[in-house]
Amino acid sequence: MAIDQKFQDLINADIDGEITAAESDELRAFLENSAEGRDLHRDLAHLCSTLGSVEAEAPPPQIRHAIMSSVKPASVKPETPGFLQSLFALPSLKYAATFAAGVILTLSLVNSGQVSKRAFDDVTGLVGTVADPIKADLETSVAIDETKVAGIVSLRSSGSLLILDFDLMATEPVEIEADYNDSTIWFNGFAQLESSGTAVSAETGRVRLRMEGKRRYAVYLQNEGSRETTVRLRFMADGAVVHEASLDYAPAE
Amino acid sequence: MGNTDDTRLIEQCKRGDRKAFETLLIQYEKPVFNAAFRMLNSRDDARDVTQTVFLKVFENFDHFDPSRRFFSWIYRITLNESINWLGKSNRMEPLRREVEDRGRSPEQEVDSANLSEGIQKALMSINDDYRSVIVLKHFLGCSYGEIGQILEIPEKKVKSRLYSARQLLKDALTETGIH
Repeated sequence: MAIDQKFQDLINADIDGEITAAESDELRAFLENSAEGRDLHRDLAHLCSTLGSVEAEAPPPQIRHAIMSSVKPASVKPETPGFLQSLFALPSLKYAATFAAGVILTLSLVNSGQVSKRAFDDVTGLVGTVADPIKADLETSVAIDETKVAGIVSLRSSGSLLILDFDLMATEPVEIEADYNDSTIWFNGFAQLESSGTAVSAETGRVRLRMEGKRRYAVYLQNEGSRETTVRLRFMADGAVVHEASLDYAPAE
Repeated sequence: MGNTDDTRLIEQCKRGDRKAFETLLIQYEKPVFNAAFRMLNSRDDARDVTQTVFLKVFENFDHFDPSRRFFSWIYRITLNESINWLGKSNRMEPLRREVEDRGRSPEQEVDSANLSEGIQKALMSINDDYRSVIVLKHFLGCSYGEIGQILEIPEKKVKSRLYSARQLLKDALTETGIH
């Protein structure tokens, strides 16, 4: 015979500790006269005990960093953009300005298409505007989820310009090497959202960065002829490699 | 953490206080991740859903109804995101559990992992509504009233749904030899 819904509920409530004294008396009287009720009570209590013995899963340790690095500080988003901000919000002007800045920087420091490491040792602190990630052509991106560094690095393209977009949070100083292993591709500029905090140097086929805290910055590479290439990223903390990743660029057919 | 603390933190979050948000994150990352894991049966998917949940929370503080409790809001988002995720991916990945060092013998670790895996398998065999109520009751420790608030159903309905869910789960566990 099926157990009345009322007593099913009382059995559940008893096991869950949500029963009143009066209900408890009523249930006890019922169970004394119902073997079926006692079986149900025992089975459900056993089930709940089994479920209670399952240990909680620990979240990945890096998840907090990844979430915190994804939320934008309120101060980054101005409520009303100024005239220049509105102007440079236009993608074409933004890229043009970025590209021009890169060209001027390059021409002022080197007299060939290649950038010497020595020339760029002092680029630290160069302030610019990070390209709006939504407007750019996203080629590929990688998520980094390590204890010391977490976030996203994206590879974007705009004509012959490749943009490495770093959105990272590092709990201690981290060095990043971006190797592109193609001597025809050259470093063409750097921009960061913050006014300081990221150091950059470049040599043929490689850009080195050093950062700590939450940072958003972009490295611009000139890829004349839009050649297929791979950028290999290596993240190091305390001299040890903590993460490696690669970003592939293939021109559209 | 009490409701008053949560309310104060939410007010700070609305003003763009990231530290307050981090405090909420520390408080709720474990239950949110666990709920997502039990709903999805994949640590990777649970991690992605957990991130989505907290980003949605961060972006929607202005839409939070202060007459409700924060945990009921974030757990509801977690369950909805998990169910959406299942709908999108339409896949059930095998359980990938990394056995952690909790100072126990290898046999104990294996027993614990087998129990968790068996229960997870049984959980995945029941429908989303029943799984949700089991997750809220047994993995998040919610009362009938709290479950009703989260799922927006009357307490009477919570009781009957929980009863049915337990019966189905018991049958599924009997099949796996755990119960």
